[in-house]
Amino acid sequence: MTATLTEPTTKLPPSTHPYAEVIHRLEAGGSMLPDTPENLMQIIGLYKAYAVPMDFYWRDLLYIAEQVFLEPIPAFKYFLPQEYLDLHNHYAGDDADLRLWRGYATAHQELLDFMDKGELKAKIPKIFHHLYHDRINMEFAEECMRAMLWHRGMGGELEPYMDSEEYKQNADRAIRAFFKNNPVMLGLYKLFPDMFMEQCRQSTMTSVLGLFWEIMAPVFFEMSDIYDEGGFKGVPDAMDFLVNGIFAIAGRPIYHRVKIGDEWMDIVPKSKGFTWLYEAAFPYVEAVFYRTSPFRGTKSYNAQAHEIPDDQNDFHYGILYADKFPVGSAGIPPTLLHQDMYHFLPQYLVDYYKQHCRGEDDMLIQLAVSFQRSMYNVTSAVIQAGRAALLYPLDDPNPKHLLANRHYFEGQLNRFCNPKYGMDKAARIGMVQDQNYR
Amino acid sequence: MPTIVDIAVSNEAFSTLVTAVSAASLVEALQSPGPFTVFAPTNDAFAKLPDGTITTLVQNIPQLARILTFHVVSGKYKKEDLVGVKSLISLEGTQIDLDVSEESFEANNATVIAADIEADNGVIHVIDNVMLMRPHWFYPIMESGKVGVV
Repeated sequence: MTATLTEPTTKLPPSTHPYAEVIHRLEAGGSMLPDTPENLMQIIGLYKAYAVPMDFYWRDLLYIAEQVFLEPIPAFKYFLPQEYLDLHNHYAGDDADLRLWRGYATAHQELLDFMDKGELKAKIPKIFHHLYHDRINMEFAEECMRAMLWHRGMGGELEPYMDSEEYKQNADRAIRAFFKNNPVMLGLYKLFPDMFMEQCRQSTMTSVLGLFWEIMAPVFFEMSDIYDEGGFKGVPDAMDFLVNGIFAIAGRPIYHRVKIGDEWMDIVPKSKGFTWLYEAAFPYVEAVFYRTSPFRGTKSYNAQAHEIPDDQNDFHYGILYADKFPVGSAGIPPTLLHQDMYHFLPQYLVDYYKQHCRGEDDMLIQLAVSFQRSMYNVTSAVIQAGRAALLYPLDDPNPKHLLANRHYFEGQLNRFCNPKYGMDKAARIGMVQDQNYR
Repeated sequence: MPTIVDIAVSNEAFSTLVTAVSAASLVEALQSPGPFTVFAPTNDAFAKLPDGTITTLVQNIPQLARILTFHVVSGKYKKEDLVGVKSLISLEGTQIDLDVSEESFEANNATVIAADIEADNGVIHVIDNVMLMRPHWFYPIMESGKVGVV
């Protein structure tokens, strides 16, 4: 555990929470992750390593949502067309709506280089890279989408909208247009309308996730650039950058449109007023950071064994609770993400990992732990942004307001203290306080 | 008597709000008979939002309109009408939590710095923060924080 205790800087008496030290750090404007240079290096390195595959994920997610749509056998959905590589990220480049990254708007050069030759570093037909899994592991992105779809009910106005008559009518129009010359699919639609509707909702969630990550990629690229320039004094600075970014982009529209022929058809129009913060970011953090689902082969699904919660609210299989050691085992989707990130680690992290644990032999697990630290920092930014948006400033002179902030922080951390299903042991918040956790 | 819009337009402290309301095409609605109760953020309230927040909202009118309509309630509620009232439903659809007593008048995380400005079509309460909708998970988190570890 860290040697120095964080004394409370508020006017309140010390917290008696099991994670009181973390509470005091949050109340002082910090992160759940301790402020050390080593932590800062790890999290920024992983943000950069994540941003490159994420640049592929968001583009391909939009391609799948907008153009693959309800294709019954989408064998080539991961073969991203040039059009989507050239698509301008709305938050980078000279023509950005709001420039989050100083860099360019089209696909990142490191991504393009990797797509060209893969880990094999060979110029062979794309289909062989694809079948050998020497490519961006898009399956991970779709697994995140599936987590959001399967959990649903995580708030926002898009949620009830997807069950509304208006959505069904929009979807119906798009489905009929998409399968206009296909009597077999139109016949299947007549027989199984609910199945097609659910496939359409899946497509909508694909668009939501694509639009969510369209923001996160330039944010992470910018953070990496700022770090390289020495612009972050510590972990709280990095967290604050995320907090400001969350606010800046909160109002970004969330929508779903499909390209049929040369026409765009709206299934979820921009005019509905759905926003990045309420309809994408909050549900995403809940579904993917906290809940997801147990990985095949790691938990018993036997109902009598009660190893898996009956209530989806109690699911605790996201990054914040993840045991990083089995990374690399089959059936664990984050392995795919970690392999992706492994390809884009900054040199300073490669050098760092070579000096610890088993060096190159377990770099995948070392980076997985760094990644977990980085996502605890992102979660801290979401928690602090939530506090700023919904509650009070950290230096509010009114003790009643400070107490409300404390209840909020303690309520958030209580999620890591629940003994049901061993959630308190699974949560990694305690372990990330220790620099030797690797 | 002037309307809600007339009062806002005539007061320099609401110039950001007026710009936002015009951009969101809500002027006509707020000039209609209503009546409405408007929690009106000052320019200083808008200035507290991090850089870029307003830029993104102004680029996306439906999203901006949603934040603005969250500050409007159907009906005319002066402070005395709200003492002890726990919440009101905004025009946006999400509830506004209230803490109203002799000593305080708060709406969500905003403090009313000037209450009961009467208009022809309702009443304005001036607030010091832009309010943002509280997502459904906010309430169980706060409860959990008050109760303590399970």
